[in-house]
Amino acid sequence: MNDQSSKRGDKRFGMVIDLNSCVGCQTCTIACKHANDTPPGVQWRRVIDVELGTFPNVERLFMVTGCQHCAEPSCVPVCPTGATKQRADGLVTMDYDLCIGCGYCAVACPYQARTIAHEQNWYYGQPTAQETQVAHDDRIGVANKCTFCIDKVDSGLAAGLTPGVDPDATPACANACIATAIHFGDFNDPDSNVSQLSNEDNSVQMHAELGNDPQVKYLYGLPNSMPGRERTADDVDEWALQDPANPLVGKVQIFWDMRAAMNFILGGMSTGLIITAWLSYLMGGISEGALVGVNVVAGVGMAAGLFFVFLEIARKLRFLNVLLRPQTSWMTRETYVVALFYPTLLLDLLWPNGFLHLLLVIEAAAFLYCQARILPAGKGIPAWRAPLMPWMLIATGLLEGTGLLAISATLHPAMHSGAPLAAGMGGALAVINAILWRNYISNAARNGIGPLARGALGAINLPLRLIGHALPLLGFAAFLGLWPTQPLVSTLAGLGAVVGGIMWKVTVITKASHQQGFNLSKVPQRGSGTRAAPARMGTAA
Amino acid sequence: MTKSTSETKKVPTYCFQCVSGPDLIKVEVEDGVAVRIEPNLNICGQHPGQGTPCVKAYGLVQKTYNPNRVQQPMKRTNPKKGRDEDPGFVPISWDEALDTVAAKMKEIRAKGLKDNSGYPRLAVSFGGGGTPTRFMGSFPAVLAAWGPADLGFGAGQGVKCYHSEHLYGELWQRAFTLEVDSPYCEYVINCGKNVDASGGATGVRRGAEARRRGLKRVMVEPHLSVTGAMSAEWVPIKAKTDAAFLFAVIHRIIKERDWAEVCDVRFLKEDTTSPYLVGPNGYYMREPSTEKPLIWDRADGQAKPFDANITDPALDGSFKVTGLELGADEEAWRHDGVEVKPAFQVLLDHMEEYTPDWAEAECDVPAETIRRVGDEFVAHARVGEMIEIEGEMLPLRPVGVALGKSVNNGPGGYHAVWARTLLSVLVGAIEVPGSNLGTKVRLNRPANNKHLSAVSSRDGIMDFPFNDTSKEGWSSQPRIRNGYNSLVPLSSSSPWAPALGPAHLPWLFQKKAPDNWPRPTLPDMWICYRTNPAISSWNAPEVAERIAEFPFTLSFAYTRDETNHMADIVLPEATDLESLQLSRIGGTGSGEQFWKHQGWMIRQPAVEPVVNAMDMTDIATEICKRVGILGEYNMAINKGAAGMKLVNNQFDYSLDGDVAYGVEEIWDRVAKAASHDLSNGEEVHDLAWFKENGYMLRDFAQREWYLYPYMKERGIRFELPYQERIKRHGVQLANRLHEVGVEWWDGQLEDYDPLPKYESFPDIWTNYVREMGKEPDDYPFWALTARSMQYAWGANVGIPLIYEVAENVAGHSGIVMNMQSAQKMGINQGDPVVIESATGITHGNAVLRHGIRPDTVLMIGQFDHWATPFAKDLNLPSLNSVTDIALSLTDGTGSGSDIVRVKISKDLRLRRTGS
Repeated sequence: MNDQSSKRGDKRFGMVIDLNSCVGCQTCTIACKHANDTPPGVQWRRVIDVELGTFPNVERLFMVTGCQHCAEPSCVPVCPTGATKQRADGLVTMDYDLCIGCGYCAVACPYQARTIAHEQNWYYGQPTAQETQVAHDDRIGVANKCTFCIDKVDSGLAAGLTPGVDPDATPACANACIATAIHFGDFNDPDSNVSQLSNEDNSVQMHAELGNDPQVKYLYGLPNSMPGRERTADDVDEWALQDPANPLVGKVQIFWDMRAAMNFILGGMSTGLIITAWLSYLMGGISEGALVGVNVVAGVGMAAGLFFVFLEIARKLRFLNVLLRPQTSWMTRETYVVALFYPTLLLDLLWPNGFLHLLLVIEAAAFLYCQARILPAGKGIPAWRAPLMPWMLIATGLLEGTGLLAISATLHPAMHSGAPLAAGMGGALAVINAILWRNYISNAARNGIGPLARGALGAINLPLRLIGHALPLLGFAAFLGLWPTQPLVSTLAGLGAVVGGIMWKVTVITKASHQQGFNLSKVPQRGSGTRAAPARMGTAA
Repeated sequence: MTKSTSETKKVPTYCFQCVSGPDLIKVEVEDGVAVRIEPNLNICGQHPGQGTPCVKAYGLVQKTYNPNRVQQPMKRTNPKKGRDEDPGFVPISWDEALDTVAAKMKEIRAKGLKDNSGYPRLAVSFGGGGTPTRFMGSFPAVLAAWGPADLGFGAGQGVKCYHSEHLYGELWQRAFTLEVDSPYCEYVINCGKNVDASGGATGVRRGAEARRRGLKRVMVEPHLSVTGAMSAEWVPIKAKTDAAFLFAVIHRIIKERDWAEVCDVRFLKEDTTSPYLVGPNGYYMREPSTEKPLIWDRADGQAKPFDANITDPALDGSFKVTGLELGADEEAWRHDGVEVKPAFQVLLDHMEEYTPDWAEAECDVPAETIRRVGDEFVAHARVGEMIEIEGEMLPLRPVGVALGKSVNNGPGGYHAVWARTLLSVLVGAIEVPGSNLGTKVRLNRPANNKHLSAVSSRDGIMDFPFNDTSKEGWSSQPRIRNGYNSLVPLSSSSPWAPALGPAHLPWLFQKKAPDNWPRPTLPDMWICYRTNPAISSWNAPEVAERIAEFPFTLSFAYTRDETNHMADIVLPEATDLESLQLSRIGGTGSGEQFWKHQGWMIRQPAVEPVVNAMDMTDIATEICKRVGILGEYNMAINKGAAGMKLVNNQFDYSLDGDVAYGVEEIWDRVAKAASHDLSNGEEVHDLAWFKENGYMLRDFAQREWYLYPYMKERGIRFELPYQERIKRHGVQLANRLHEVGVEWWDGQLEDYDPLPKYESFPDIWTNYVREMGKEPDDYPFWALTARSMQYAWGANVGIPLIYEVAENVAGHSGIVMNMQSAQKMGINQGDPVVIESATGITHGNAVLRHGIRPDTVLMIGQFDHWATPFAKDLNLPSLNSVTDIALSLTDGTGSGSDIVRVKISKDLRLRRTGS
């Protein structure tokens, strides 16, 4: 550590936002846009306009949002490149030159703090002299977020200034705020403005329960005029959360689309196929030759999935940066597994033997496991971080594998013999998948999945249960018990397994993937009717 | 990560885009390009907003580089004018443009400055709030050099301004506008004044500081505004019934509570006209010899002149008194032992019927809420307490009442403003620390010192420059087409008065001439600067039609818009960041601009003009040179038309006779005169110094914020509660108008009550639906509007950055309506809807919210553009498209309210376009 960073090491920068001061004027929003030259539609600092309750008992409040520079930032460990880091003073930083624009940090953030602009847009549709002057090519196709005006903080510190006190060392939003609602400073210094302003009794962190320990604290009460109160169930009821225009409601994430979903679909299927085919081979269901053939096909499928991911990342020429964060990122780890998998596959093709089969299966399982960890680390998406998600991804991959085995048994003579085993495994996995899904969907609300996302999940609930669970279970059972000579029955069951897997992954990744909305557990006591501040007949303190 | 640049500088200048300014800013300029705006924190310690500007200032960079700007002077080639006519503008040189304008002006001078109706042939309209003068350089000197011009064609004034507050505020407390003294105030009743959106950076900051200190604000309004959001309590009142609410609060205090206990009795007795005795004809009882109003002294049971030595002035009761009553038109009554009452007793009788229970039925606010608000108000008034300000003990009365637009103007405006002022007076909370304070004067003079204007009348109250209504003094010939001097005595005769007349009457009379009145004529030439009446007026679509009838219009234009669509010549001025001017700063001003300093600041070119534009000062000089009035123009500047006299007995920086000075030279002289004046000659600074330093200040005493100590020194009483002068002017004005056969102003004459009587004001708009031949039940909603901090006054609807950030504030994307009401009608979030009144129509997307009464809809700001680039594609609604201009909607001060009955239906023309 050099002097500068050691000096930073004893600091913990953060903000205190006063909900009873902020009038929602957006001066911070626009001052940030000026100071940081953000392009159209990108707002690192944004103030949302919130209503709680229903007429005639209504409260309206303005919530300053943006990167919370969490003490435990969920965006940092997921980043496969190391572009997002956390400094000793708590600032969560971005290195635009390292970032590949995979969007993983964006889906991992529960505060909607990150954006990716894929192309340079202009406010008037054409560049103005000013926009040309301040355009930042390095920020196109990479993740962007509030930096707490890091350059200013650092140059201020270097000049001996105190961030939060001296404007030249203080973020633009705090300087610009016309209501003195935004305070910046060092939480480690008990005498700093932010430490003096906030304490456990007067401030809350947003989504404290998610464990990110955000370094933005919201002051919610003024004891003398507008005391704070606990939020109640009818502040934002289910009906309100179904309103996509409600700023508290997260929108469907736009960072991972069908291209990302294809990796989970093809990757899960392929690895599931490799694993279940190996089991079938071990138990005498298919020959070694067939196994090698299956592995090659699965390898192609997996490659196709990875190619889709490659299409998803914005800075394709930098894709190798994905290897830079094996310490924490499951995306990096997945890439390393891929790097081992394909040589093994090649060797297994050239010199098939039990060890290589086993090694390949281990690698496939590792890949599937990586996928099972990648999605839930998208902590900003309640539907992804639900507790059962890793198990569902693994169980689905395996079920799809059996499904493909069953289908291939019909399509290819070399696979005929594997049909009964595939059906046996498939039936069992269908039951497991059905149980997992039932648990997932019935606990969705409890796990913080909002009504809009639940609606998207609900739309596939019955089809998934019929096609993805009942059809494989009954089909495989019927094949085994009633019509063992009718491969079409097991094929149909296998198709159901595959279609079911695709159905729910597409839904969970692209349709039910609403971002975590905004929420504070304590708010000011003010508004109309029951929400009004208490009557006060005495003088203010 | 900013690019390395060859040259970066930060240029100090100011933002005065709205009436709550100025705010000082710095423009960051890289390689000659303005790239960023930031607060000018150098002035943090002196500016009441600590050097921060509001959101609008940050739009100035995009305003400068807007590709839709008018690129060079243009002239119209299509002689037909109208919304559907392509003006056929073609570029012309500045010489040709200025020559054309000058030729027209010379032609007018040759014909005579006034036409056959006695109206000025030249008309000029400026945007509201006086802010255009902070941008128009020396242009005011053009008008001074010219002679009579009609400044009365409104752009929404009267319905968009605090009209009744302006007039009565100046009458009662030298307050063109009022604010609460935030640094000391503890409790505010706010009827719809959206200060946290309209109060600018200083208002917001001081308000937030006050809340943190413990201020409790109760917001009374039909929809939960930004300010309502920031209040301790929102009371959802039925639209336009605020006066009923306030009357009932007064009733609570003086009838249900013991007024002698909760009111500031000493103040009422000594510092108001409450003890003045009112005679049987409704005029003060006066001492026959001196004609001074009488007060009953309980100490010795005698009536004495108000300025005599009175031990115990009676506020209540009735007494037998001998004296003189002076009525209207020199009518007089001598009374011998007649029964009279103190004005306060008259008030007690008058307020008897306005109970909280009565008000509950009228305004849909629970009687208990009204009682509690009244109780809280008096509990916080701290009657009897004092506070030390700059070494002087002053009364501390930390309670205020704020009124918003459409509450303090239009029918009912007088009632609300009177009730507000009376509430203040009851507890002595007027013009003292913590209370309601006037900001500045516009009608009274001198303009830059409200205290010097507080001169006693012979009745011991503040004198006021009423327009004369006496037989000899009244003029049946209006000076300008809005007739302010003939119709509105309270609008006064000051230079600002034309803008404070009935600003919509010219448009109305142009459509249908009134009986027995000078024939309304079209001005030969109309100049339009920083205003867009075709959008901002009530019934804007119809005003656009009237504008199209004007024979010759000169528009100073930033971009094409709905008004300059009808122009004959369009001139692009060097805009905010491109032009030069010095302006006064500090003291007290609009909004919460309460400073402890005053001085001068500069607006200077941060960049070269991006288009082929000229500085307004150069345009003004060139016009005068070509018209041949350069000498008069220079003389006007010398006399202070550019904001500062250039010559007095201490200095002489005057301009010479017929020399055409450049913009830099003119403002260099102003800079020297201003700094000389400010420092008594100790620090004379030239323009270069101001360009470098941005501003120059000297101390301004906080005592100057408060009028009460000055009134006390001069023995002047507040003229509350009884309005003898209003009554007299009303009778006289009625006589004058009837003498010339004018009966169309009779409705307005009903406002001249000495104690205002409540009428059900919403019925005025309900009845108007009938007047239009429609059925009121078909129009079940009240449509209202609200300020947007992001847009208000800014002429920035064409700036995408402002649009982007404004979208974060609910309501900017369409028509706000109550969630449950919408559900009943099958209207979903974002659905396109049509709003129709009896006379107009507007469209937008539904914005469903809980914070609005089920009977109310709201359209924020003023939109419905059809010519302004960018804005015309926004599909945003405007209340101005559904309101109407009508005499039956006009009050005695000549103003109206932003309210109209409407119906709502799904818009079947459009597919849903927004979320």
